Amino acid sequence: MRNDLLAAKGLTFRYGERAVLSGVDLLVGEGEVAVLLGPNGAGKSTLLKIFSGLIRPHAGEATILDRSPSSYGRREMARILSVVGQDPPLDFPMSVEEYVMLGRFPHHGFFGQPTAADRREVDQALAMTSLSDLRSRGLGELSAGERQRTAVARAIAQGAKVMLLDEPTAFLDIYHRVMFFEIVTRLAKSCGVTALIASHDLALCAEYGERIILLAKGKVRAAGRPGEVLTPGNIREAFGVDAVCDRNPATGAVRVTPVRKKTGRDEGESALRDSGPAG
Amino acid sequence: MRNRAIVFLLLASSFAGAVVLSLSVGPLPVTLGQVFRILSGGSADGAGETAMRVVLTLRLPRALLGALVGGALSSSGVAFQALLRNPLADPYILGVSGGAAVGAMTARLLLPGDSFLSLPLCAFLGAALAASVVFVLARRRSGVSRERLILMGVIVGAFLNALIMMMVALAPPGRIPGAVYWLMGDLSLGTLGRVGLLAPYVAAGVVILFLLSRGMDLLLLGDEAAFQSGLPVERVKTVVYLTASLLAGSVVAFSGLIGFVGLIVPHGARSIVGSGHRRLLPAAFLLGGTFLILADVLARTAGPSGELPVGAVTALSGAPFFLYLLRRNGGKP
Repeated sequence: MRNDLLAAKGLTFRYGERAVLSGVDLLVGEGEVAVLLGPNGAGKSTLLKIFSGLIRPHAGEATILDRSPSSYGRREMARILSVVGQDPPLDFPMSVEEYVMLGRFPHHGFFGQPTAADRREVDQALAMTSLSDLRSRGLGELSAGERQRTAVARAIAQGAKVMLLDEPTAFLDIYHRVMFFEIVTRLAKSCGVTALIASHDLALCAEYGERIILLAKGKVRAAGRPGEVLTPGNIREAFGVDAVCDRNPATGAVRVTPVRKKTGRDEGESALRDSGPAG
Repeated sequence: MRNRAIVFLLLASSFAGAVVLSLSVGPLPVTLGQVFRILSGGSADGAGETAMRVVLTLRLPRALLGALVGGALSSSGVAFQALLRNPLADPYILGVSGGAAVGAMTARLLLPGDSFLSLPLCAFLGAALAASVVFVLARRRSGVSRERLILMGVIVGAFLNALIMMMVALAPPGRIPGAVYWLMGDLSLGTLGRVGLLAPYVAAGVVILFLLSRGMDLLLLGDEAAFQSGLPVERVKTVVYLTASLLAGSVVAFSGLIGFVGLIVPHGARSIVGSGHRRLLPAAFLLGGTFLILADVLARTAGPSGELPVGAVTALSGAPFFLYLLRRNGGKP
């Protein structure tokens, strides 16, 4: 039987007068790699913030393991759900290992010393993200790809069942993006971690995502398997872009290729402006 | 592990060295041998009663006051830096010390007697009030930028300075003796009694911060990430802010405005032991004590006649250091 870890029902959220989410329903099952796609401002980050308990919806309900985020104690929640979002801090000298160890806070709290078990978890997180050799390096000395992996390693060390990731591959080259999705897939398969990833990376999400939730204008435009969601119609509706959706001959996964307008360059631009993204 | 022990041993030795040096140096030279004999309860051969009295009643309280003040200002600096995620934060630059000075002055002008309870309390209130005014003014929707925070600190500090000057000018003669000197940072009023009055405030502040050290580590990640890592962010920030204000306030009440210690010392300590607060706080306390005692030795001996205020010495070294940090970090938001 399918076991839903994350669920949202009729979720509505407004910033002032502007509705960012209106009536969003979604389900993410245990061990699933789910992807939130949608144009800028479609409400992806807001949805993640509601699940992590940072903000509360104005209407509707979000649940993690059938309980609302606000019903959890802070540390209890952090043991169940981790978030990869902001970059590691660079203003203060801190080693990769120290930073990843911060992920163990929900387990040892204010006064406990890191135990051998904590160190093991950190070692494992570093190994999974290929950072073992860089453990004593300062965060400021890392490349963008390494820094991003460090943030993932901290979330892994947190040992939570659910991982929320907000545009984790935004500034990475293709090698590091692939590496990132490999890590997340391995986490889901070997550790049973459920991942909800907000992303703009249509190509890799189609390849690695097991479930795609396409948001546009604060509503779920489509949700399901990549092949069901990533259709030319849905992509045009959500992003205002024409695309060819075929199959990757190597893997059989759906492949999304944007189509350049056939008309002259100027006309192409005005055509883009006219239709515009739906978010 | 062993390295850490060695680092702390070195820090503690330099602290002890600074204390001994400050007991020996001054208009009446006392040799190190005499200092050790006096401290171990013996008599100072050759130097006699005077040396003993100078060391025990003048220099020792002064060194202890310097240690407490330097340690407290550094701890307060560490706390404000974590709270604001800003390595340029310091109680003096943020206007917090100015608020404490106004509070202490008000207590001395309005409250009867020379109460050493009301003085630190009013200084604490002044410090906390100034800190919150600066935070509120610096806050924008997008958060608090480093430059804006410093700018607001300077503006609020200037305003508070003007208030202080007015109070000094308008106060009845003799009501606040030594005010001008006190405003430049002064350890010369150190007596064992005063050290005893300041010690509980500093001890309480330092212990509270140390207990919150893991929380302060997480604050460096930013509010959202700290919250998502399981930290009760608002509660921790409130306690850290009140404690940092208490430390800065009580220190100002007893020794006036001594600037830049809370900026220079945490930086030095971080470069030695890293940013983890469990190590950073004790290291910064020891280093801060050492730094201020040495600055005071310099202040006592550098002037051709009489002594300089110790605040002048710390500002002389601190202001260029601040510029250096600002230039080095200037490119970052």
